[in-house]
Amino acid sequence: MEKLILRRVDHAGEEMLLNFGPQHPSTHGVINFLVDTDGEVMKKAIPDIGYLHRALEKIGESTGYPGFMPYTDRIDYVAAMFANEGYAIAVERLLKVEVPPRAQWLRAIACELCRIASHLVSTGTMASDIGATTPLVHALRERETVNDLIEALCGARLTYNYLRIGGVAFDLPEGWRDRVLKFLDHFDTMLVEWDRLITFNTIYIRRLANVAVIGKEQAIDYGLVGPNLRGSGMDWDVRRDVPYGAYPNFKFEVPIGRGKYGTVGDAFDRYYVRVLEMMESSKIVRQALESLPEGEIVAKVPRKVKPEAGEAFSRVESARGEMAYYVVSDGTEKAYRVRARTGSFTAMGIIEDISPGLMVADLVALIASIDVVAPEIDR
Amino acid sequence: MPKETVEQYIGNVTDTVSSFWHGLSITLSYLLRRPITTQYPDRTELPVRDTLPPRYRGFLEVDASICTGCQACERACPIGCIQINLEKDAANPKLRVVTQFDIDEAKCMFCGLCVEPCPTGAIQHTREFEASQRSVRNLTFRWADPENPFPVYKVVKGAEYFPRAPLGSILRARLEAKRWDAPGPEFLPPDPNAAAPKKAGPGAKAAAAKPAPAKVAEAKPAEAVQAAAQTAAPAEATAAPVAPAAPAAAQPDGGAAAAPTPPNPGDGQPA
Ligand code: SF4
Ligand code: SF4
Repeated sequence: MEKLILRRVDHAGEEMLLNFGPQHPSTHGVINFLVDTDGEVMKKAIPDIGYLHRALEKIGESTGYPGFMPYTDRIDYVAAMFANEGYAIAVERLLKVEVPPRAQWLRAIACELCRIASHLVSTGTMASDIGATTPLVHALRERETVNDLIEALCGARLTYNYLRIGGVAFDLPEGWRDRVLKFLDHFDTMLVEWDRLITFNTIYIRRLANVAVIGKEQAIDYGLVGPNLRGSGMDWDVRRDVPYGAYPNFKFEVPIGRGKYGTVGDAFDRYYVRVLEMMESSKIVRQALESLPEGEIVAKVPRKVKPEAGEAFSRVESARGEMAYYVVSDGTEKAYRVRARTGSFTAMGIIEDISPGLMVADLVALIASIDVVAPEIDR
Repeated sequence: MPKETVEQYIGNVTDTVSSFWHGLSITLSYLLRRPITTQYPDRTELPVRDTLPPRYRGFLEVDASICTGCQACERACPIGCIQINLEKDAANPKLRVVTQFDIDEAKCMFCGLCVEPCPTGAIQHTREFEASQRSVRNLTFRWADPENPFPVYKVVKGAEYFPRAPLGSILRARLEAKRWDAPGPEFLPPDPNAAAPKKAGPGAKAAAAKPAPAKVAEAKPAEAVQAAAQTAAPAEATAAPVAPAAPAAAQPDGGAAAAPTPPNPGDGQPA
């Protein structure tokens, strides 16, 4: 990177070095891209990350086990429920506690609602990055409703801190089930409208099809996860293939990119996978609400969480792909090591490889289509 | 790229125009629907706090009359923004009194972990959220008066109900009593670090630093904000005693003004 900065003076003619971000709305957070361009065509775009590094993993070593839960909210503020869930599962494995079924179901409901909220932001901002401003407003309107629902459930709109080690914090509030079902009915029609509004808009399709193609092999090599990996045609979903929580009890499809309007793995495929995933999430929430078992919502966990020395690993399918937690205990009340593996971080790696030959305007499409969230990259 | 034929070209144009109108028709249909946004705060039908769900995690409120002084909330807080001190009552040595119960709401992340272990429900989240203050120190809520400490509540065995004041009423009264631009308070008890600049800076420089803590109280609000902002960087306050005379004197206001914050366990933690 230093080399690139130094070379700036050597550029003659059309070539120039462009600093894209860190305060640019379409960088999806505080990320800087060093873009080496020749006119409109990029030679290379190098992501420069670390602006939002808050040493969250280190904090995990100094707060107790339950005390780290609100910090996990801050790892990915657009979809905090998954970070909660991954951490909770890892510590539960350390403690060897069994989560009661009702808590499992509640977790699944909360997480899938959260996935809908996150994908709405992702698809909405993608449309607005591409230049269509209206869809973002529609997406945010729906997301507000989801936030209202989650707020009624756990008291906060973004930093939920809903999960507890061994279960969840609250049971369903009164009348919440009906509110959710009503919203989902509305949401399903809204998705149809959404497709008419933007997904199948010719201009939008032409803008995204065949842009920033990531092949299946390449996606695996770079460790892409979640919708980015599925957009490249890889059929892999942690919820289905490494089941956890209540997911084995639900029937849902795993949408993958099929190259609907271009090549498999282009920006449109990654976008469309997310739209389809919202439909699947809606299905899962319905099933979960229908089959919600009765019982406890939190397992018996001692007030002093003090697991035996050992290590535990958990993986959950977050809205941004596979999220993994690795927690090491040394037998004290504080973790020896907490490590979070996030989807956005690996997704940043591929930008440098995909960018040569893309237009500068397509970089925006690429960033939007891999749906990175800056705090999740840096943690 | 293969060359487009004229038909393809015209087809593309008509496609684009039709899908453009398709999208626009949806947008236009929203012209006829009721708007879903409202103007905040003056056009909402109810005060916003009354429309929030009961579980909303807003500002914390402590009902001192039912606090048992168990300090469970203090231990549960991952940041350490609650500070509780207990002392024996001078008049009645068997009774313990709470001399300090501070919650630094500026640091609080509204996670609700302190509410859960409370045996009586004395500490609760309210639905208050409109409490911005010009001086960040005004966001440290003092639920115990150091001059007039409150006795701890004795839980009757088997009690299931605790006479708690209506949730939010105590906090509401406090917020209404306090102007948003009220100057920040001078905190008691004095911070041990307050003496540090005097030791570090010899002679005249120390004299310059001395009146600073008193100055904060009458300082212009802008200054108070600045001083408070510096408390946010604990490095500044802790650096002062170690640093040689020159830096301590260079910013007597910074070092000394930062000092009278309550000794907060959070400062020591990497929160
Ligand atoms: S809400 Fe959380 S951060 Fe705030 S005082 Fe309670 S435990 Fe501490
Ligand atoms: S507020 Fe509750 S938890 Fe905190 S000291 Fe009082 S009784 Fe104990």
